[in-house]
Amino acid sequence: MSLKKIFVGSIMTLAVLVLVFSFIPRTHQSSRVDLSRDDISGDGCTVIMVAKNASVDGSTIATHTCDCGTCDWTWRHVDASDHKSGEMRKIYHINQYKTWPLEQGLKWDLYKNDFTGLEIPELPHTNAYHHGMFGYMNEHQLAIGESTIGCVKKIRNDTPAPAFDITMLTLIAMERCKTAREAIQLMGSLAEKYGYGYNDSGEMLAVHDPNEVWIFEIMPVGPLWTPKTGKPGAVWCAQRVPDDHVSVCPNESRIGEIDLKNKDYFMASAHVVSFAIENGLYDPKSGKPFSWKRAYCPAEGSATSTQGRRARLWRFFNLVAPSLNIGPDTPNMDYPFSAKPDNKISVQDVMNMTRDRAQGTPFDRVKGLRGGPFGNPNYYGTTRTISSPSVEYTTVTQCRGWLPGPIGGIVWLCFGLQDTSCYMPLYAGITDVPSSFKIGDHWVLNRDSARWAFDYVDFHTQVAYNIALEDVKKTQAEWEAKTVANIGDVDKQALERYNKSKDEGIGYLTGYCLTHADNVVKAWWKLGDDLLVRYNKLSYYDTEKRTRERNKPAYPDWWKKAIKVYDAILEPAEK
Amino acid sequence: MKALRNFLAVLSLFVLVLFSAFAYAQTGVTKAKLPVLTTSAGQSNDVTTVNIVLEEAGLGYDYCDVPDVDMMKAGVGLADKESGPGFHAEVYTDLAKFPKGTPYKTIIFAIGASLKGMGASGLTIETEEARLKRIIDYGKQNKIFIIAVHVGGTALRGAPGSDNERMIDAVAPSADYIIVTKDSNKDGRFTNIAKSKNVPLTEIEYALDLVAIMKQIFQ
Repeated sequence: MSLKKIFVGSIMTLAVLVLVFSFIPRTHQSSRVDLSRDDISGDGCTVIMVAKNASVDGSTIATHTCDCGTCDWTWRHVDASDHKSGEMRKIYHINQYKTWPLEQGLKWDLYKNDFTGLEIPELPHTNAYHHGMFGYMNEHQLAIGESTIGCVKKIRNDTPAPAFDITMLTLIAMERCKTAREAIQLMGSLAEKYGYGYNDSGEMLAVHDPNEVWIFEIMPVGPLWTPKTGKPGAVWCAQRVPDDHVSVCPNESRIGEIDLKNKDYFMASAHVVSFAIENGLYDPKSGKPFSWKRAYCPAEGSATSTQGRRARLWRFFNLVAPSLNIGPDTPNMDYPFSAKPDNKISVQDVMNMTRDRAQGTPFDRVKGLRGGPFGNPNYYGTTRTISSPSVEYTTVTQCRGWLPGPIGGIVWLCFGLQDTSCYMPLYAGITDVPSSFKIGDHWVLNRDSARWAFDYVDFHTQVAYNIALEDVKKTQAEWEAKTVANIGDVDKQALERYNKSKDEGIGYLTGYCLTHADNVVKAWWKLGDDLLVRYNKLSYYDTEKRTRERNKPAYPDWWKKAIKVYDAILEPAEK
Repeated sequence: MKALRNFLAVLSLFVLVLFSAFAYAQTGVTKAKLPVLTTSAGQSNDVTTVNIVLEEAGLGYDYCDVPDVDMMKAGVGLADKESGPGFHAEVYTDLAKFPKGTPYKTIIFAIGASLKGMGASGLTIETEEARLKRIIDYGKQNKIFIIAVHVGGTALRGAPGSDNERMIDAVAPSADYIIVTKDSNKDGRFTNIAKSKNVPLTEIEYALDLVAIMKQIFQ
């Protein structure tokens, strides 16, 4: 063999070895990158879930308290649509938090400037649905609620390589699916194929239909993923809430050990365990079973150890199943996935839970001096309750299998802080949402925007909170409680028409929802005016007697004493 | 036939070598040196991406989200400061090669503003700008090679004067080398900065492409 042949042969062998090694996937058994979760601040959204046999009327229910503080609150209806063969669906990057100045336009037009470059084939027919920050309810009663849960830092993928973020996944699920299981499989498979992350890290969705409630959790797979790697671009897992149970997600992963053989209760991406092993997030030699939340989204601590910052998990179980006697010292990671409630839960109960401020508990925001003379829970922000002042709107999605989809599904929507707002029904089948729901932002007061009517009331409630709130409750009783109690009458009217003609039934519901919402918004503007007049100058103006009572609202004696004590301790020199 | 096969093999190899050389020439970068400190300009999570890239490239590094001049002066080991709420310091430099106290030769800034991140670190956009100026000034005085990385795409860009753009202004014009994803540089802003400052810039498609670049420049 000549030297030349040896040289060429060696070079070729080396080249082959280089190529082969470059394709061997790397594993990360001993990662140096921080394995802590990216965010456990617990500032985000709360999802409460009620399965069908845990509810009073057999409906499934989920909430989404859209807690942000600076986000877009506007809503849109998307019509059902037929598509020609070969039509493509563009995929956009949608940032939950991004807003634009009003002069530039509205979010649900402008997000289309962030085209990912990915187009997927359209289906011959896509469903009608309503969406705000996420897709919430389609005409088949597929419904969704959302809570950000974060993930270990090393699997975040903040690069634009993944085409999907959580908002886009929910919109596609609304367009293409009829059941919760279909939606989970579709969202999971799209995220695996085209990548998940960019604007979002770990996310939880409550995905429900009239029969089942599922918790779907999804994570990115790290910043080095690209579509060219050929590997899944997301890792996900889903667990079904038992039919007689309720559950909750307060920005913390809720899925622990999984049993993928039990297909009625678990779904997951194929690499759900192996990806954790490869990334040093789970060691099968530890002798412990694989736990989804401990691997991908560990969040140690309890309600007590976090001084109430992560008290929502405890508070929920305390409200719905006090018989479980779960104490606030219980580590959040040790809570059950779900529980059978002590009493069946109504949709009004769920609405009331979204208003919860942990009253009478160790995390009460008004105990001691915290709430000031008028028991205002908005002064003290250290403890995090289900109701948060940063809420944009809250949805209570309700699916009722005994009715046709367009009538059975309802998005109960309230704008702003739940305690001073009002839930309004948007039936699944309606073909528009009120025009006042489509506009407005945080920085310009807009009297044509529904949200501002509710903020207007909320603002004027702060002056003498616990007294003014009684006025608000009277208006809520008129516009919310009566509507919830009498919704069966609306169902009946709609069903009679729907059975004659679907269009007639849907037209009736659309008219009802739009008119009702307009009336509620008008009532709230008036309520705001009334509160301004009544508690003006921190007095009490009686509009019927045309009197002003200077000593009302009265400061409580304990408050007057507290001022004296403060002076004695902190300002003794001024005596 | 055998001769042709050999010729093709040699030709393929030649093309491979030529392509690699061309790819390197595209970066136009003089070699950076270890030890390296990674940090954030704006407290987005993108510095984690940079850290993962270095790990993938097999390079040791020190990381601090909010280093100041005292930590830069302390060199490798970050003065043994420990992570706590709103502060992260991690030492992964090979201490056998670069003992504690060895001055940093390179600093990598991952650019991207996060209000949440800055809030967690107790920073405002103004205090973050001031901090960046201090450590960049120190770096220039001490001939530390500055690499600016922007891999967050349009999500970490904004209107002129926005937090993200202010972070770019704070770092990119002082960088010795700029690396950006195409999505981050759609408007050519980084290219213009690189041209005006006469520093090399590499545009990449994915963060993954950083791995090869880091291997190359720290070779």
